[in-house]
Amino acid sequence: MSTDLLSSSAGLTRLARALSTGRGLFETRDLVTIGLFAGAAKASTVILALAGGGMNPVTMILKSLVFSALWVVLLIKVPKTGALTLANTVAGLLGFFLLGQAMISLPSLIAATLATEMLILGLGGLKKRPWLAAPAVALSELAMRLVNLFFSYLGAREQPGLVIMVLIISAFSYIGILLGLAAGLKMARELRHAGLIQD
Amino acid sequence: MPDLSRIRPAGADRLGLAPEVRLGLTLLASLAALAADDLWAAATLLAASGLYLILQARLRTIALAYLFFGAMAMTALGCLWLLSFVFPALKEASPAAVIVPFSRLGVSVNMVLPLALHASLSGLVGTMNRLPIPGLVKLPMLVTIRFIPTFINDFSQLRQAVRLRFRGRAGLLFWCRRPFLWWRIFFMPLVVRLIRSADELAVAAELKGLSAETDFGRAPIILKKADRATLALGAAAVTAASILQVFHAAG
Repeated sequence: MSTDLLSSSAGLTRLARALSTGRGLFETRDLVTIGLFAGAAKASTVILALAGGGMNPVTMILKSLVFSALWVVLLIKVPKTGALTLANTVAGLLGFFLLGQAMISLPSLIAATLATEMLILGLGGLKKRPWLAAPAVALSELAMRLVNLFFSYLGAREQPGLVIMVLIISAFSYIGILLGLAAGLKMARELRHAGLIQD
Repeated sequence: MPDLSRIRPAGADRLGLAPEVRLGLTLLASLAALAADDLWAAATLLAASGLYLILQARLRTIALAYLFFGAMAMTALGCLWLLSFVFPALKEASPAAVIVPFSRLGVSVNMVLPLALHASLSGLVGTMNRLPIPGLVKLPMLVTIRFIPTFINDFSQLRQAVRLRFRGRAGLLFWCRRPFLWWRIFFMPLVVRLIRSADELAVAAELKGLSAETDFGRAPIILKKADRATLALGAAAVTAASILQVFHAAG
């Protein structure tokens, strides 16, 4: 049903309707998988941050590596447009409710992910080309970092030099994201081989 | 499945505010702090948010948070100092140009800390039931909330298994020499367990008839006296900061 929905000419309109109502886009098993991966991604980043002693480059790279590997595996398991947006929304809302993270920037972050997904859909979609999961995660994380940098700039607009620290942190964590893409693709291949991800 | 009610939030909750009130006030204060660029308006918001924090957290917790905040501020100032060699104009910045951005960060710390200290996974389910969240997002969020304690449990079991397997030889240096081994024996089993749990839970959810279209219902938001008083004081502080921003900045 969802594949037909996205390959049709009126796909975008129907996608927008499906995203707002939740009808016809995701099956229950997709939603459960997205929920579990979002929980695992959030919990593992918190565990690694606590184990690594906070903000050091190694922990930041490792956290992002695990996060992006999980996201790539998720997109290969649930190859539907909207899956990445929903996963980021769930992870973002969890951070919002529990830690007050991304209070103002959350809508922009969701919009950035959705824009990336539209681009991936234009390139053929995840169903036809599963390897697009890696560029989808790389682009959405880049877009989200740019949105965060913009909000950091707004917060320190009187002294833009202060944003340089945020820029350094974003750069380190993005190295982790890029490393995690390769790890995620390799992991997905092994999981498919083990029969845990079906084509 | 671990009992969620046993995971207690940290910190003494003196006001006992509803989570929705904390969320609303944090959002309001963050927006106001972002908009304010006058020194007095920023100071008003910082003072009001500081009072809000003192009423809801232990002094030791506040001191620790501010120690971390201070370290971050020092690092940022260090970066700025290094940059000033490349861009000499940065040295001529007025005090307000340095203080106002840090006061925004201070407001954020003051507002977010009570939220993080008093939030709990079990309380989050109640908060979600009272807020207008679509079923498409609510179902995965409920799954996430229920699954996090299980995932942490799996993580600690794997850690114990690795400790038993290497009998104390697996120190930091050991893992630094063998990063791929860490991936193979620690992360891969976690992901396999994750996918198996997803398949099992999906069958259980389908059998119970849960889907994105399920009507989860919505509980009413009930505000106590302390909630209403805090909301009123928060609104008054933001109004005062707005007046200072408009008139003092213009003057």
